[in-house]
Amino acid sequence: MSAVTDVAIEFNRLSKSFGKVQAVHDLSFSVQFGRVTGFLGPNGAGKSTTLRTLLGLIHPNAGTATFGGVRYEQLPHPSGHVGAVLEEASFHPGRSGRNHLRILAAAGSHPGSRVNAVLEQVDLAGAADRRVKGYSMGMRQRLAIAAALLGDPDVLILDEPSNGLDPPGIRWMRDLLRSEAARGRAVLVSSHLLSEVSQSVDDVVVISHGVLRGSGTLASVLGGADGPVTRVRAGELDRLAELLRDQDHSVEPDGSGGLLVRGAAPEVVGQVAADHQVALAELVAVARSLEDVFFELTEGEA
Amino acid sequence: MTALLRAELIKLRTTRTFLALTGVAVGTSLLICTLVSLLSEPTEESVLTDVFTADTSGLFIVILAIVGITGEWRHRTITSSLLAAPNRLRFLVAKTLAFAAAGLLLSLLISIAIAVVGMIILSSRDLPTPELDELVGQIIRNAEVAALLGAFGLALGTLVRNQPVAIVGVLLLSLAIEPTVIALAPEVGRFAPFSALTAAIQQIPASDIGGSDDFRLLSPGLALLALLAWIGAAFTAGAVLLKRRDLN
Repeated sequence: MSAVTDVAIEFNRLSKSFGKVQAVHDLSFSVQFGRVTGFLGPNGAGKSTTLRTLLGLIHPNAGTATFGGVRYEQLPHPSGHVGAVLEEASFHPGRSGRNHLRILAAAGSHPGSRVNAVLEQVDLAGAADRRVKGYSMGMRQRLAIAAALLGDPDVLILDEPSNGLDPPGIRWMRDLLRSEAARGRAVLVSSHLLSEVSQSVDDVVVISHGVLRGSGTLASVLGGADGPVTRVRAGELDRLAELLRDQDHSVEPDGSGGLLVRGAAPEVVGQVAADHQVALAELVAVARSLEDVFFELTEGEA
Repeated sequence: MTALLRAELIKLRTTRTFLALTGVAVGTSLLICTLVSLLSEPTEESVLTDVFTADTSGLFIVILAIVGITGEWRHRTITSSLLAAPNRLRFLVAKTLAFAAAGLLLSLLISIAIAVVGMIILSSRDLPTPELDELVGQIIRNAEVAALLGAFGLALGTLVRNQPVAIVGVLLLSLAIEPTVIALAPEVGRFAPFSALTAAIQQIPASDIGGSDDFRLLSPGLALLALLAWIGAAFTAGAVLLKRRDLN
């Protein structure tokens, strides 16, 4: 692991237009090592353009997209530092999966033994010598992921990696993302499968029309602008409300005999109640789904 | 650069297109050589260029090179190629060298095969055969042209991304446009890259490429420089385009 700072990827006021179409506008956010960051947005929001700009495939009009301050094409050993799966995983149909990886291993100066290792890792060893045109979409996606893992990179960038995967494949992908982050790697994953993302990511970045709409930890984004929201019921409701207000939490009636506490997770509310010996009848997080947040931030775009 | 070159050579070897076109090139060359050896009566002066320039590797390596680079766009493998080698100029240089090397090897394979077949048939018919040093010289000139055409095809394919358009364009240029220019404007036609310049380098008589009696090819050295200039111009234009292009 070569991480010197916690910031693995940094977008700084990135802009890109194609003719009169502004694909990405003044986009700034960062991705940390050891975390999975979900990159969300409707179709045409600019996600792929952003990722391709980061990888040196598209030239930005303004701003920068770097890995620890260094552009992808200037990294001393790019495919050893960054592994990427882009949306349209591309292979020569007449070439076997193994040969596809052999080519990339040779070009990236990775040891040939990595080919077998990643084929095993993505559970594709049995089909490695078949031509890619006979692969299912899920197998192609696994091959693309194998290619990204060839250089044992510190940073993984995945554009819609669950496309074409069956339910076991999606679970496998989720486990892979989590295990890579647990090893200290930075994972940036774009997806439109919000339920999948909500189970995999630590942080979320939402864009629409190429503009940043929201970002932060999953919990903070799900909590909205005020942070997490908790519903509580107690015998001494007025006293509890007073105690919570004393601690600068926003408290309001929930309309059914309880309280809504904004800006406090259930653990915080529970601790206040326990400290002051207030018996609780109910203590639950008021969950907003990622889908709710997504539509709110993108103004209902699908 | 060695790593990239190695990767490009693996790409070449691992598709059926390469194997199929190589087989067709070998078969075509052997067929031409056999027919010429059996049906013609070459003289001592003409036997070298009549029989032992039947190597068709030049045409096939141009097509292979075009397929090689345009296929990167067609199958979208250009993305993974440039992720592995983000310096686009180095990528293009490696690919050019790979196809030049492939042209060289393909031509050597074919030239040696037609040398063996041609010598056997001519000897069995008691017809004159070239000296060994002359034959080796011709094999080297054939290989030189094939290597240059491999590089030229790659550069042209970088300029014209559409595979069918690039292949049909090169075939039209070499089989229709160049002969027409040679016939109508011989002073210009002397610089035709696929016919006049390659013929001059291979030291094939001007009449063999349809030139009139007063049509004169460039000297082999000048022809080599002119063909290198064509390759350099096409490569430079292709490299500039590739460097500027966004890969959406």
